[in-house]
Amino acid sequence: MIDKSLRWIDDRLGIAKGGRTFLDKIFPDHWSFMLGEIALYSFVVLLATGVFLSLYYIPSANEIVYHGSYLPLHGQRVSEAYASSVSLSFDVKSGLLMRQAHHWAADIFLGSIAVHMARVFFTGAFRKPREFNWIVGVSMLILGIVNGFLGYSLPDDLVSGTGIRIAFSIVESIPLVGSYLAFFLFGGNYPGNGVIIPRFYILHILIVPLLIMVLLGAHLGLLVKQKHTQFKGKGKTEHNVVGSPMFPTFMAKTTGFLFMSTAAIFLLGGFAQINPIWQFGQYEPFQISYAVQPDWYMGWLDGAARIMPSWEWVGWGHTIPLEVFLPAVIFPGIIFNILILWPFIESRHTKDLAYHNLLDRPRDRPKRTAAGAAMLMLLGMTFFASSTDVMANFLELPLKSVLWFFRFAVIIAPIIAYFITYKICNEMRAAEGIGKRKRAQVVLRSSTGEYTTVDSEPRPGDGYEELEAIPVPTYIDLVPPELVTGAGVRRVMR
Amino acid sequence: MRRLLQARYVVPAVLAGCVGMVGLLGFSPGAAQAVDGPSTTTPVPQLTSPPLPTPIGQPTAPSASSVLTYRSPSNQTGIFYTDLPAAFIAPGQALFASNCSSCHGQDANGATGVAPNLQRLGAGTVDFWVSTGRMPLANAGVQAIRKPPRFNRLQTLEIAAWVQSLTPGVGTKVPLVGTGSADLEAGNTLFTLNCAACHTITGSGDALMGGAYAPGLHLATTTQIVEAIRSGPGNMPRFGPGNITNTQARDIAAYVQGVIQHPSNPGGFALGGIGPVGEGFVGLLLGVGILMLVCFWIGERT
Amino acid sequence: MSDESPRVEEPLAPIALDDPHLQPFAKHPEGAQAVAAIAMVVGFVGFIGFGVAYWIGNDSQWQALTLGVGLLALGFGVTAWGKYLMPQGPFVEERHDFHSTEAERDAMTAAVVERGGMVVKRRKLLGGLLALGSATMGVVLLFPLVRSLGPKPGNTLFETNWKTGSRLVTVDGREVRADDLEVDGVLTVFPKGFQGSSPDQVILIRLAKTLQPLQPPGRTEWGVLGYVAYSKMCTHLGCPVGLYQRQTQQLVCPCHQSIFDVRAGAIPQFGPAPRPLPQLPITVDSAGLLRASGGFDQAVGPGFWERP
Repeated sequence: MIDKSLRWIDDRLGIAKGGRTFLDKIFPDHWSFMLGEIALYSFVVLLATGVFLSLYYIPSANEIVYHGSYLPLHGQRVSEAYASSVSLSFDVKSGLLMRQAHHWAADIFLGSIAVHMARVFFTGAFRKPREFNWIVGVSMLILGIVNGFLGYSLPDDLVSGTGIRIAFSIVESIPLVGSYLAFFLFGGNYPGNGVIIPRFYILHILIVPLLIMVLLGAHLGLLVKQKHTQFKGKGKTEHNVVGSPMFPTFMAKTTGFLFMSTAAIFLLGGFAQINPIWQFGQYEPFQISYAVQPDWYMGWLDGAARIMPSWEWVGWGHTIPLEVFLPAVIFPGIIFNILILWPFIESRHTKDLAYHNLLDRPRDRPKRTAAGAAMLMLLGMTFFASSTDVMANFLELPLKSVLWFFRFAVIIAPIIAYFITYKICNEMRAAEGIGKRKRAQVVLRSSTGEYTTVDSEPRPGDGYEELEAIPVPTYIDLVPPELVTGAGVRRVMR
Repeated sequence: MRRLLQARYVVPAVLAGCVGMVGLLGFSPGAAQAVDGPSTTTPVPQLTSPPLPTPIGQPTAPSASSVLTYRSPSNQTGIFYTDLPAAFIAPGQALFASNCSSCHGQDANGATGVAPNLQRLGAGTVDFWVSTGRMPLANAGVQAIRKPPRFNRLQTLEIAAWVQSLTPGVGTKVPLVGTGSADLEAGNTLFTLNCAACHTITGSGDALMGGAYAPGLHLATTTQIVEAIRSGPGNMPRFGPGNITNTQARDIAAYVQGVIQHPSNPGGFALGGIGPVGEGFVGLLLGVGILMLVCFWIGERT
Repeated sequence: MSDESPRVEEPLAPIALDDPHLQPFAKHPEGAQAVAAIAMVVGFVGFIGFGVAYWIGNDSQWQALTLGVGLLALGFGVTAWGKYLMPQGPFVEERHDFHSTEAERDAMTAAVVERGGMVVKRRKLLGGLLALGSATMGVVLLFPLVRSLGPKPGNTLFETNWKTGSRLVTVDGREVRADDLEVDGVLTVFPKGFQGSSPDQVILIRLAKTLQPLQPPGRTEWGVLGYVAYSKMCTHLGCPVGLYQRQTQQLVCPCHQSIFDVRAGAIPQFGPAPRPLPQLPITVDSAGLLRASGGFDQAVGPGFWERP
């Protein structure tokens, strides 16, 4: 039956050869190669829950009177966007679970992209021939951050409205064209003429996800075309890939992982409350709550805006609000440009034009590892700076001191991180076998009083030896060879 | 299957579990509430609250008659002001002399650089500071902290009555707050406009400038809320009846008590009500962290 | 990478069922299978539970618990099946260079350069006109795409609805009387008729009973009866500056913690805000109502290019 249908399809599409090769595709067995899959599967959850939410959410700034299940809001004039977000949380069965899962999936999506990217960076997987895929990945990160912000803004609650207000001001800060861009985007001076919610909506549910999906297709397509990288190891060379085949081993593992990732997202969605918009209330431009922060992946921008000194440039009848433009436009611009261009920056520095399919251990490239650590430290410091008020409150420190600490820390900490990481890498390279489990030594005393040391008995995990890797078998002999009589064995041309 | 139980799995898994539990519990409002003293939700001041540790000085035996005269009709709603019974004044003076006068002076007129003048502030102001445990001060800092009150309800009111008797009719009185048919919706709007900028929209409080902070509102009683609105303790602005009417103050108190202190959290643990900071912490450490451990289990082979 | 070996098709022998590469990874496959099976049964029960939880109520926690346990257990079972019970390998796949042969590359370059050069060089006029036309189309198509989105800013950013004589009203439209606020009181006010409007929001603070507050030169008459009024839009990013500390007489922006000194014309003392909050001159009329004695003398809110 399966044979027959495959033949039917192959007659028309010719999939047999490519399909077989695809089923035989080898995935290296290393845990760090699964990190990108967390992002992939949270994206799947985002799409699924997002479709659910789009059936109930109304992208409209029209004012209506709230009459839903949440009593403290009763009779308030709210926007349809806010009312529908609250009612899909309270009045639609499973709506709250879906909404919270959607939000957690977004947080995890971007978090896993960050760790996946760190893995790719620190192991040098972005090097020739994979520069394209690195750029595609960074582009998806940027689009993911943008879409996260857009989605965060849609419920039109007090916290997200404050974010939109800040976005307007950031656009406004761009020299020459800023106020024009802001007016075009919002359809007028803030808060605009009610178009921003519908515009954000169409961007959030159609345009940006579509772009992400196209890039995702390219990301995975390039992965299949260029094959995986792998760590050095027994039988692993620049010219092969050693691991488990797509079908069935990897498919089973990854399907299981899809389920488990989804489980984690839904468990958070049901047990960890996120963005309780009914408590925040409808956004009004003259109302504000303290302790308002953007979602974590925007935190580094918010933190940069917080610790920036008030350097406004005024002259020749014009103003450049550097206190906004630098941290909110130039800073992320520089960071994303460095990320996109990193493969080329590095290859220019190392003059290394060779293909690289074997990965580096981070310690073997101390400069790159140190640079990555410095970058993480810079972003981490700006990230933590976005919660200065919460930190000051929890640690009972003066707010100004916390702010001043971060003003210095964003500059000093990356430098310190660079040199410490560099030093650690070099030390680790000097001590080969560091971090590996050592076999215990047993000291024996012979009958003549002589002492000798021998290796102890292998414990579980000690003596594990990989077999020699072989090509994925297509035909498996169900009959032991010695019982085969007469009929020949089918052979396949590869 | 023994491999599963090896330390290399168990240790990170246990660690992750601990981090997760600490994260969830540390941020849950329940943990925060367990720290501090009584949080009565009764809308009227209770004079018959359980006796607290005897303060320095002479404990006063509450006379039944004086207790009964100071009660608001529980079936009424709004804010009522009555003068504290004259019988409170004498024991109040004794309590003040032994507990407060060392800083504020025998006549409650304060001392420059040490303690403020309490005259003309009114009984309500005194009641707020004493009933929230902020006074007597534990140690001089930027801001007095809330702690279990030293005095019971009756003693507090006695002190307040004595301070009020120094300047009769001046200052904030002790309100009787009946939140019976309060308008929660109005309270919600008023809270967002007037309170959320400092106390946060969930009432968690946050740090202010100069080492001060806006306290969380989860322990405040309705009486204390109205007293704070009217008297503006510390850095808090003062909202008079021309700004926030008695009805509005009652609505705010009812909203804080009914919604801020008992928030509707159908989505699970509230993560401290501090918004994306707590959420990012949980999302990255619990969400991404645990999935990374799962990766580790799936991907490794030894 | 230089893989010299040509890509040849070679027959691949079938391997025997007892080949070590085909053996399961688990030392005790039966035990592993039992664990996976139990997990998958738990998963099945979890999904049934979700169905039940959905039908009998709308409790997020029960739904998440059942669905989460179902997915987790099923996922664990499938993964364990893949990890412990499927052929342990390792298997290998050859990798080949991506680049084509030199001859193919030359041919490609030749096709582009020579064929293209042949037509373009001979017909430079047409090529130029094509470029001109496409570029023009690209530019004019931007008009509807960008220009239709909204109006030009014009003077809007410099204007508010505050005029001489505007009455100060609360967000409910109640007119503010001179005795409404106590000392150390704050109130968000709007010009009458524009309640809730974003650029018009003003924070009214009463600093003292009668004394004129300390004011910068030229502004001594801008406050009245201890009242001062400032734009509530932060000059940093436009958040409402709603946090007033009465002891230090500072306005603080809750978004990025810029501090403004209310007694000294709301000049920024700390944080990223570059300019003082614009002050609204106010006075009290004969009926005891607070009124604006003028509009703002500058644009309110964050900075932008056209601001002088």
